[in-house]
Amino acid sequence: MIKIDGVSHYYKQPKGAVRQALNNVCLEVPEKTLFALTGPNGGGKSTLFRILSGLLKPGSGTVRLGGLNINTHPLEVRRLLGVVFQYPALDSQLTVMENFQIHASLYHLDKSVLDRAMAEDLAWADLKERLNERAGTLSGGLQRRVELVKALLHRPRLLLMDEPTTGLDPGARKAFWETIFNFRNRLGLTVLTTTHLFDEAEQADRVAILHRGTLLADGTPDALVQRLGNEMIVIHARDEKVARELEHRLAADKHVTVRRRGGEVRVEGATQEIVDDLLRQRQGLFQDIAIKRPTLQDVFIDMTTQAPEETA
Amino acid sequence: MISVISALAKREWIRFFRQPHRVVGSVAQPILFWIFLGSGFSSSFRAPGMETVSYLEYFYPGVLLMVVLFSGIFSTITIIEDRSKGLLQGVLVAPVSRFAIVLGKVVGSMGIGLAQVLLMLVAIPFLGLSLDWTGWLLLLLGLVLSALGFTALGFVMAWNMESTAGFHAIMSVFLLPLWMLSGALFPMGHLPAWLNSVMFFNPVSHALQLIRLPFYHPGGQLVAMTAYQVALMVALLWAGVCLALALWKVSRMETGVAGP
Repeated sequence: MIKIDGVSHYYKQPKGAVRQALNNVCLEVPEKTLFALTGPNGGGKSTLFRILSGLLKPGSGTVRLGGLNINTHPLEVRRLLGVVFQYPALDSQLTVMENFQIHASLYHLDKSVLDRAMAEDLAWADLKERLNERAGTLSGGLQRRVELVKALLHRPRLLLMDEPTTGLDPGARKAFWETIFNFRNRLGLTVLTTTHLFDEAEQADRVAILHRGTLLADGTPDALVQRLGNEMIVIHARDEKVARELEHRLAADKHVTVRRRGGEVRVEGATQEIVDDLLRQRQGLFQDIAIKRPTLQDVFIDMTTQAPEETA
Repeated sequence: MISVISALAKREWIRFFRQPHRVVGSVAQPILFWIFLGSGFSSSFRAPGMETVSYLEYFYPGVLLMVVLFSGIFSTITIIEDRSKGLLQGVLVAPVSRFAIVLGKVVGSMGIGLAQVLLMLVAIPFLGLSLDWTGWLLLLLGLVLSALGFTALGFVMAWNMESTAGFHAIMSVFLLPLWMLSGALFPMGHLPAWLNSVMFFNPVSHALQLIRLPFYHPGGQLVAMTAYQVALMVALLWAGVCLALALWKVSRMETGVAGP
């Protein structure tokens, strides 16, 4: 559904300088996949999202959506897309229904098509009673659901979402994602979402990690997590000096991988003996020690700790 | 394309009428401006060749122009709000022609100004002015063309603006002098040569001619007048250039570079 081939993008800066946003990104998203694009702020997610939604022309490389080149067939590509932006794209002065009607006009939908889509979707999104309320009076969570329904009224094949749960409380986030899964299963959608929340990314079929404009990893959440083994030790040392000392000592064991960030030391591939040894010999040097199953966040920390420095 | 234009224009109207303070301010301000300024200057105003015309009457076409100019242009300020709220991006990712986006916004914004002008036309018989049907037609043409050109100018100015305060500042510095030097407040002809030149090259002066002349000449006679023909040409050209600039702005996609 999405094929990104060698996309690089640099933003022009004053005095002829440039700032790298994307560096030779290659990515494929199969049809009907829920794909999460994750990474830190400034990693390139939003630039890639703007390129995919047709708002930004990449410096180099090609992007194909549904087999169509986004630069040569912009109108056809836009018909395939439903887009949910990070900030609400609803007119707060208009009612929910009026927002839907304007969207229907922009996508050339007949009234009967709009009515049918609304009849099907509003119940799923629990919005039936809200049609005549002004969008600005709805809670943040409801506004996001209205946006979602609006983005899907024209039945796109691909739904693009840019950090769609920003500013929502945990309950509203959960409800939003439940609605996404409902729609995705019912309409057979391909969904690409950017997020820096790893618990959201873990729900996706596939995840890509973008850091300093470079694609560091792309795979299923399980496959990415497996890179760190089944278990890892996380030690919070008393101070950074102690952490450095621990890092140095543990790194002597060729069977383990040690990473340190400030006062935190992560040990991958560690055995029970190492933990026992640490507890016996080094007690008092650390605040806590935990054995845990790695998460996507650990993969992210692991990869970004060893990622290459920014080049521009 | 028509449905897109009408949907975007309708949105401007709904937004306008759902903000009562905006409606009251837009309608009351030009009327008060006209009555106070017109009455205040009436006793001292004697324009050469227009001795029988009161200042209230002289100022009237200028007030009509002020309404279409200021209301149309300041309605395009919603472009800045739309961008900051993400609404504009929602429109730009839709499969619609860029010209439909420009026209939808411009038609909606100029429509607000034209509706206010229609309210003000009620004053015509009270001023002792009269128009035949061709005069009405030419007056409406003048109002629509002026509104179209200057609202499109507002669109162009607003497109890259970051803040509404900046837009207000630029427009006050740029638009107010243009309107003041159009002949709306004082007549052309008996002024220093440099001021006459400025007024001649001011597109707002020609827009004012399109609005003032139908009150004093029958329609048939008017279309044969050189002054009217020049004003019409300038207004058409101005509207075309401003719309083309607006289309160029909207069609220009942000792009970066491939490497350092």
